[in-house]
Amino acid sequence: MKKGYSYTILFMVVITALLVFALAAAYEGFKPAINTNKNLQEQRAVLYALGLDNNLSNDQVVSEYEGKVKPMPLNGLEEVGGVPVLAHVEGGQPVAYAVPFEGSALWGQIRGYLGVTAAKDQATGLVFTYQNETPGLGGRIDEAWYKEQFRGLPLASGAALKYGAQPDYQLDAVTGATQTSQAVLRTLNKALAETVFTGEVE
Amino acid sequence: MAAEKIGANFKRNMFTENQVLRAILGICSSLAVTNTMRNSLVMGLGVAFVTGLSSLTLSAMRNIIPHRVRMLVQTLVIAVYVIFVDLLLQAYLPDISKQLGPYVGLIITNCIIMGRAEAYAQSNPPLPAMFDGFFAGLGYAMILLMISFIRELLGFGSLFGFQVIHTAPENLWTIMIMPPAAFFIIGSMIWYISARAAKKAAAKAK
Repeated sequence: MKKGYSYTILFMVVITALLVFALAAAYEGFKPAINTNKNLQEQRAVLYALGLDNNLSNDQVVSEYEGKVKPMPLNGLEEVGGVPVLAHVEGGQPVAYAVPFEGSALWGQIRGYLGVTAAKDQATGLVFTYQNETPGLGGRIDEAWYKEQFRGLPLASGAALKYGAQPDYQLDAVTGATQTSQAVLRTLNKALAETVFTGEVE
Repeated sequence: MAAEKIGANFKRNMFTENQVLRAILGICSSLAVTNTMRNSLVMGLGVAFVTGLSSLTLSAMRNIIPHRVRMLVQTLVIAVYVIFVDLLLQAYLPDISKQLGPYVGLIITNCIIMGRAEAYAQSNPPLPAMFDGFFAGLGYAMILLMISFIRELLGFGSLFGFQVIHTAPENLWTIMIMPPAAFFIIGSMIWYISARAAKKAAAKAK
């Protein structure tokens, strides 16, 4: 069937408008559920970094978070890159801080929290809230075995984290994902230097 | 063209004209996501869903789409469904959405979807077109699962994340986790299938 230019142009305009409208409507419909999921994910991530998430249900995450986590400045820093510094607070005193970090890895940004005890001598946990690394390779930084290595990891002012066997800890990189693994440590060391210890780490 | 039965359509898309092995389409994602079976399964189902629905929609509109802009319309429709799947996963399956990350958006670049729209949906009625698209996606999913079965088993020693080979990580075959492994596996599969098809054709010719 031969169709003229005006029909073709009109058809494209109408079909585009219709589809975009349908998509916008779908997005509006899904928005509440998506936002709830996003908040929940963020809260669960913070609890995980602070070592407070023990397979909590979604409702427990909300009550645990509201009961124990409050924004609290660390070294006078209230936020890092627009994300507030949070702390696990008990009896008005911080027990541990969730320090936000962001950096660039192989494919894109990585963001997350590093949990650090109030005494700054140990990490309480590591969590990623955003990463776009290759699934199955760099994406494995988001797997439990990798993140759990950071729980209870000894920290000291001026000491950078390194892979391999160190005097008082052992840290493994992801096999086949050297770039991503190195980027994670680079980002964490930057967070340690700029936010936690406010001094150079080597 | 005489109407094709659903069973024949299924057989054609799964085996005789499998999009990955016979048409060599969808190779990029076959190389990328096949190091774990879980990712392969979700990717395969996502492609099957999008191919089925976009074929249905494009076939329903086939008589009003001006021929010279049909590819624009195909892209538009496919993009809408991909974004829809992405939103759906974000809203109701947030864990899987997080796992798959960039791959959901990449469904749109899967050549199988547009291939089916061009080769089948624009000249067949909506329902057969939907089945054709869905089966083509299933055929793709099947190949992905076969490749990832080999890769995950030898590379990670696990299947769907469950450890089945208990050994030290250094005993596993690291190259299986990397894209080149899929390259060799797909290559061997294509070789085998083509050789078999050639033999069959030769036998018929006699």
